Formats: sequence, C-alpha cells, structure tokens
Amino acid sequence: MQEGLSEIQNQAKDDLAKAESLDAVEQVRTRYLGRKGGIINEIIKAIPGLPPEQRSSTGKSANMLKQEISKWIEDARVKLADKEQTSEAKEMFDLSLPGEHKPYGHRHPITQTIDEIKGIFRKLCFDIEYGPEVEHEYYNFDALNIPADHPSREDFDTFYLGNKRLLRSQTSTVQIRVMEKKKPPIRMIAPGKVFRPDTVDARHASMFHQIEGLTVDEGVSFSDLKYVLTLFAQSYFGQDVKMRFRPSFFPFTEPSAEIDISCSICKGKGCSVCSHSGWVEVLGAGMVDPNVFETVGYDAEKYTGFAFGMGVERLTMLRYGIDNIRLFFENDLRFLSQF
Amino acid sequence: MKISYNWLKDYCKYDLSVATLAERLTNAGLVVDAVKPVDDDYCLEIEVTSNRPDCLGFIGIAREVANIVRSELLIPDVEYAASDESVNDITTVTVEDKELCPRYTARIIKDVKIGPSPEWLQKRITSIGLRPVNNIADITNYVLMESGQPLHAFDFDKLSGKEIIVRRAKNGETMEAIDGSKCALTEEMLVIADSQKPVAVAGIMGGRDTEVSDATKNILLESAFFDPRNVRRTSRKLCLSSDSSYRFERRADPECVDWASRRAAKMILEIAGGQVAEGVIDQNSLESKKVSVTLRMSRLNSLLGLDIDKDTVKDILERLQFKINSVTDDCFSVDVPSFRGDVYREVDLIEEVARVHGYDKIPVKSNIGVKLTQDNIFDKVTEKTKSVISGLGFDEVITDSIVGELQERHGNIWTDDRGIKIMNPIRQDEYLLRKALAHNLLRVKKHNQNYGVEKANIYELSKIYLPQEDDGMPEEKECLSILGEEGFLSLKGVVETILSQLNIVQKLESIHYDFGLFSPEKSAELKLGGSVLGYIGELSREVINDYDFRSKPCVAELDFNILVDNANLEGSYRKIPMFPMVTRDMAIVSDEEVIWADIKGCIESLKIDCIDGIEFFDVYRGRQIEKGKKSIAFRLIFRADDRTLRSDEVDALQEKILENLSNAFGVKLRA
Repeated sequence: MQEGLSEIQNQAKDDLAKAESLDAVEQVRTRYLGRKGGIINEIIKAIPGLPPEQRSSTGKSANMLKQEISKWIEDARVKLADKEQTSEAKEMFDLSLPGEHKPYGHRHPITQTIDEIKGIFRKLCFDIEYGPEVEHEYYNFDALNIPADHPSREDFDTFYLGNKRLLRSQTSTVQIRVMEKKKPPIRMIAPGKVFRPDTVDARHASMFHQIEGLTVDEGVSFSDLKYVLTLFAQSYFGQDVKMRFRPSFFPFTEPSAEIDISCSICKGKGCSVCSHSGWVEVLGAGMVDPNVFETVGYDAEKYTGFAFGMGVERLTMLRYGIDNIRLFFENDLRFLSQF
Repeated sequence: MKISYNWLKDYCKYDLSVATLAERLTNAGLVVDAVKPVDDDYCLEIEVTSNRPDCLGFIGIAREVANIVRSELLIPDVEYAASDESVNDITTVTVEDKELCPRYTARIIKDVKIGPSPEWLQKRITSIGLRPVNNIADITNYVLMESGQPLHAFDFDKLSGKEIIVRRAKNGETMEAIDGSKCALTEEMLVIADSQKPVAVAGIMGGRDTEVSDATKNILLESAFFDPRNVRRTSRKLCLSSDSSYRFERRADPECVDWASRRAAKMILEIAGGQVAEGVIDQNSLESKKVSVTLRMSRLNSLLGLDIDKDTVKDILERLQFKINSVTDDCFSVDVPSFRGDVYREVDLIEEVARVHGYDKIPVKSNIGVKLTQDNIFDKVTEKTKSVISGLGFDEVITDSIVGELQERHGNIWTDDRGIKIMNPIRQDEYLLRKALAHNLLRVKKHNQNYGVEKANIYELSKIYLPQEDDGMPEEKECLSILGEEGFLSLKGVVETILSQLNIVQKLESIHYDFGLFSPEKSAELKLGGSVLGYIGELSREVINDYDFRSKPCVAELDFNILVDNANLEGSYRKIPMFPMVTRDMAIVSDEEVIWADIKGCIESLKIDCIDGIEFFDVYRGRQIEKGKKSIAFRLIFRADDRTLRSDEVDALQEKILENLSNAFGVKLRA
C-alpha cells in the first residue's frame, strides 16, 4: 500500500506540472482530491477494509499526501493566476517613461567658476577677502601707482560717481585695503564685480567679475609666482596644460607678466578663440611694485610679494566654449539651466 | 604701433621669418597682435604698453630686435649741407611757458618743391597703414614713425610776424585743426602761435591756416618736447588726438628732438629740394640730469628666484644701451639712457634683466609653506543659503548693478533717496546704481516670459548701493532677492526654510506693509528678533500689468547680513524622543480679525511643557461657517520626555487650550 501511495504522489506531481491552465489544475484536483471518486478519498474510504495493523499507518500517510497535494495545487493556482492576469491585462507598464522631476535649482555659471577657483586657492592656503564695489579714486588708482593724467589710466576706463567716487574697474583695490589692515604675511584672493564703460559686445560687458590674488612675505620671488599660478592652471585647466609667461606692464607690479595657456579649444593648433596663435591669455601677474608697498607702509626691502588677476567670464567662456559674454547677464533660464 | 617687416631691416640686420620675429618680440614683452601681408611685405601690429614709449618708433623696436638676435643697431646718418643764411636771421622762437614746453627747436627750409613723395616713400608709409599726403607731410610722418619723435612743418610764409611763440592759449581763442575740427581753447592749453593767433595745439595737431600746401615754398620745421600730462589733458578736453599726441603724452625722448629734426631736414633736402638754413633754434630748458641706478645682484636673484651670473646681466644691460659706470662684487651702477624714462629704480632694471633673459628661464618652485586659512563666515552662510535655495528649485541670476529709472516707478524698498548717478554712463537710459534687486528680477522674469519660459523661480544674492549724505560712500548692502511663482505662502516657506537651515532661532514676524510694488493684501515687512530682515509680497495688479506678466509672481527681498549675523552654522543636536507623541486635530471658528499668529501665540503663552508642536492646516470659509467668520484648523502635538502621555491628560490640556482661546478671542470649537 505504501508503494502505491508514493506512486500516486509522483503521478500527481507529473499531472500538475503538465497542467497549464487553471482549468487543468482543477481537473487534477478533482482527480485526486474530489469528494466523489477522488483517488485519495477512495483510498481513505477503503481504509476500514484493510487489515487492522495497516489501518493507522495508511490513514496517516494518506492524510499527509492529501495535504501535500492540496498545497501543490494551491501553488500551481497562484502561479497560473499571476501568469494569466499578466497575459490577459490590457494595460502594460511602460518602463521607458521618463522619471518624474522635482524642480532643480542651478547656480549661475559665474558663481560656479568663482566657487571652483576659491576652492583651488583654499587648497593653496589663500584667504578669501572682499572689498567695496564703490571705491574712492585713491584705491582704484593712486595707491596702485596709477597717477592722475597718466596714460596707464587708459587701460582702466572707469565709471565715475562724483566726489572722487567711482565704480572700481579692477579688484586690485582689495590688495590695498587688505594691506592697510594687516601686516605680512598675506596670502589672499579677492573675487568680485568690476565695472568698465566698454561698449557692450560679444566680448565686452560693462560689468564683469575678476579674481585678484596677493602674496606678501619675506623672500617671496618670481619663482613662487610661477609655481602658484602653474598649480592653479593645472588644477583648473588640467594637468597637461602648457603655460607661457610673457613680460608685460601693470603699474602696480614690477616685473609684470601676462600668462597664456595652450588653447583648450584647438589644443594649440590655432583657431578663432586663440586668434590662430595657439595661446590664450588668462592671467595678469607680477611682483608687487615697491611704490605700492610704500603707499601702504610696508618695508619694500624686507618684504616682497606677487599679485595676479584673472577675468571670471573669460575663464568660464573658455571652459564651456561660450562665445558671447552677454549671455551671463541676460539670465535666460534656457542658458542658466545648462550649468 | 604698426611695423613693416622690410622697413625694420634698415635699422638692424636679422634673419628671422616673420612668424619667428613676432614670437620673439611677444616673448620680450612687445606683443604682436596681428601679422598682415602687404604686397611683398608684412605689417606687424605691436601692442606697446604705456611704460615703453621708446618702442613707439622703428628704431626703438629695432633696439629690442638687435638685442634678441645679437646684431648691431644701425642709426641713419643725419648730416646735411646747410646754406649760408642763418636760421636766426629768418625767424625767432619765444617760449613763454618753459614748464609745459621744456624744449623747442625750429629749422627753416627754403624753396622746397611740394609734390607727391617718391614711390619708395609712399610704399613705406602705406605699408603701415598711413595715407600719403605730399612729400613734406610724408617725410615728417616717416621720421615720426622711425624715431618716435613727432614733428610738424608749418608753411613759414603764412606765419604772421614770421615768428613762433609757445604760450598758453587765451580763454575764448579758437583754431581750426588740420583734420577740420574746431578747437575751443582755454588757458590751461599750450599752443604754438604766431604773432597773432594759435597755429597749432602743442603736441596734438597743427592748424589748417598754416598747413603745408601745394603753394608752399618755405617751411618751418618744429621738433619739441612737451609736458606729457598737459598734452594728455588737452587732448582729452578737445577730444582730439593724433600719432603725435599719443607719443608726447607717453613721453617722447627729449634727447631725440634735434636728431629727428636733422633727419627730416636731410630727407626734405634730398626729396623736396631747397636749402636748409644754417643752424637751429633750440630753446632748451631741460636740465640734462643723468638718472643713475644701482643694481644688486643679490636682490636681483632673490626677487626672481634665479641664479644668474654677472656677465650675463652686464651683457643684457649694455645691449639695452644702459651705461655701466662701476661694478663691485654685488653691485652695478648704471646710467639710464634718456629714452627710458620708465627706468629709475633697481626693480626696473631687474625687470629689464628678467625680460631679456626670459621669463621661461625662471624656475617653477616655491619656498612658501602651508598656513591655516581664515574662516570666512560670510562665505559659509552664502554657501549654505545658496545650497538650500537651489535645493528648493530656484535658479541663481546675476544682474547689472547699473539700472534705469524703472527701479523707482513702483515704490522703493530700502530707501526713498535718489539712486547714485553715474556721471559717464554708456547707455543714456541706464545711469543709476540700483537700490534694490527686486526690479532686476522682474526684468529677468519678463525676458524669460518673452522667450516662452512661463515659470521663473529665481534669486540673486548681490549688492545694492544706498546713497549717503553729502555724496559720501554708499552703504553697500548685500541682499538676497527671491522671485517665486507658487504663491505668497510658498515663498514665505522658502524664507522660513532658509532661516531654519541656518539654525536661526529668532522669531520671524510678518507685519502688514503698504508698498506700491505689492498687492494691498499680501505685502509684509519681515522682522527677525526686532531687526528688519526684509520685505515679501505678491506683485500688485499694477506691476503685473506694467510688465504684462501672465502669472502672479511673489517677491521677497532680504538683508543678507541679518542672516549672516544670526546664522548658527555650528548647529546643535536634539535628542530623538523616546516616548510617542499624541496628536489632536482642532478646528475653531473665529472672527476674521483673529490671525494665526495670535492663536499660536496664545497657545505658546500657556507654556505647557508637553506641547511639542502646533501645526497649521488650513483656513475654511463657506456654507457650513457663519458669515463673517472663518474656521482655522490645526494640529496639536503632545509629548513628554519621561513617559507616555495618557489620553485623559491630553484631553484636559486640550480643554484648557480651547478655554483660553475662547476667552481671548471668543472662538468656538467647530461643530
């Protein structure tokens, strides 16, 4: 009898495996567990007719088998129900639909550039300083060794506000304000807005941003200037950037330099961005002029230093290949949301 | 300064391609901006910095090239045969203002034949972008470009009294310049005059009346040194400039004055014929003071971070025509040539050495060590604020500080004083410094609406400029202005989120504020712990119509420094409660006058320890509520730190709260 039961068990398993619809499962159920004529029930009904020593064990085994088959049938039903529902459903979930978006706020690209450059100079142990945008002529010119009626003022066309007030045309003003307040050593950068009455075109705006830098200490040399600015350029433009330091003139530095980097657009081959020279000017720099130290009361024999300045819009335009400076101040959200 | 590649070879032999020449000049500090082919020649446009007037002539540039290629500088011969007649018998020169004209020379050339220049001369003049006029004008231009010393030729027979007087102009005098412009002269200006009238504005431009013409026979050739500042001031005042004024205001070489005059006289003899009168009138009050500078090798090497030897330095200086007087172990004593007015200190010589030696030879290395940078609270609060506000979906904008009168049209936010005026604006309608940011945000919103962007949730963090008495320095106020499209309470929520993220604990109060920019109803002054934090409101109908907005934006403008002063970025930690909270939702019916702040304040004033929060739900007016009344719904959150609250305790507290509200405002529990 036991062998018979295990045969039935195997048979039931096979039958269920072959049942591919809920109807087929129901047929299997009826065949094995049906009240009338179900194989298991027939066995249980036949138990009283067995010899007494077999009745108990056969009853137990039959009941266990009944439970087991019931469970298989239930599993098969669930499985088929899932399958049938899916195959019958008219609606299909489209996995390719776009995700839902919460509004995402963007920082202005100029802010992002300033933040990045502040980060680089923080790593190089520079403090961040700020100065007023409306300045006294003294800070914009005289203290920076740019005397009145001197052609060097021509490089700094300026908005005047009367009573010796002006809108600063360079962030170099902050050099003077910091040196007036503090004694060396000084290592700082000063980002901010500057203003020039330039005719507005694709390359010129009447308001733009500069970052000024200054280091003053005993024994600071032109080598240090080259080192710091090289680290900056490698950090901002990439390790493989090439640099060129050229002699130039600024009234508040001596010697002065302009610094070019290899054009990032054409990789030095020559294109319209670099006027086909392969080089793009990105920084002005130099050793602080002794006249400036004298003005702020530093001992120019004891202390030396270097200063540098860069245009934030220009760096941002180079980074992203932006060809019109006006885009920064029109604040078209279709532009701003790209950054 | 435009230079012809072929012409430059007259003054120094070099065997460099035009590209190499341009690169070498650029590396020596004379940036070549452009190279343009002209016939069989090239024109190099060189950017000469304002400290190097000596390079505003071919010879000056050639001096640099000779240094670069280590060849000889070739100076043209200026010897000529003069006639027997002495210049002093023909004319006189009186310099009345020796300060503004320290040196004036005059030569007379008689019986010249005016005509077009020979082809070679025209070609040279043309190669650097000048227009040939006649042989005399072309020669003076040629010598100016060659030497950097401006010259002027007068038609001698047109000078009244046959004399030259260098004097200040009289107020009210006028002169028509060669280019046709009418000059209204004042006594600050220096003129060259004959016995009757000004015939040239000194150093800037000659007059039309005495200009050399086809009929000219006799010439007075002027070569002078004028005070750079006066030339510059006069040129700016008259809005008149020329190749001459450009050089004089940068300081021409006082020792080149006579050389250039002789060079031009010789060329005139050769090209236009005639006779040069014997001698020169040279009114020279310049003291020939030698500028001597001492250069220490130790200083040079420490400032540059170099280890350059003395022979190299000596060679560089000598090639630049600095005269070495004496040499000791560490020092050079050097005489500076007259054309290098920019060199008068040790550091100027150091620059010369560095420049010629090559900046590329200076090593990239550093002695400066690490140091701790200072914390900057402003930057930290800025960073935090921007990250919060970006997180809430607002885009940052940066707008111009210079605005038009629009900023006054709908009322002022921070001050009623007129904005500070720019005296030399570039756009006539935009000439004021902004006194608020809000109006600029409206313009940005408008711009975007015009381009089809209907929603502009934007903010700006920048300075405004509040005028002070007596044209003093303005107060530069750092402001945070936000424009939101989701309604008043949503924008107020943005402000509250910023405050809470900056851990600002002071209470924020909204006080009704009448103000043209905002609607009469939704317009408030925001106060934080007694100080004015700023203003918030929904734009008034008038403003919306004015800008033709299709939405109803709200604007908040905050004094950012109040946030900086009150921010607590260190923060603090509050324990997560151990016992569960019990919430009770209430709806009370009140008069219209009763405001949420009163209700909340009343509950807070009871100082019930286990109240953990009072959360507003909504205000309802409608059919189920008596007319003229409103229903305010809110949630009370109760919690104790040491136990789980029992329901009957909370019931009692809720009863107490209702009773107090009822006594204070006559409110009733909504049925």
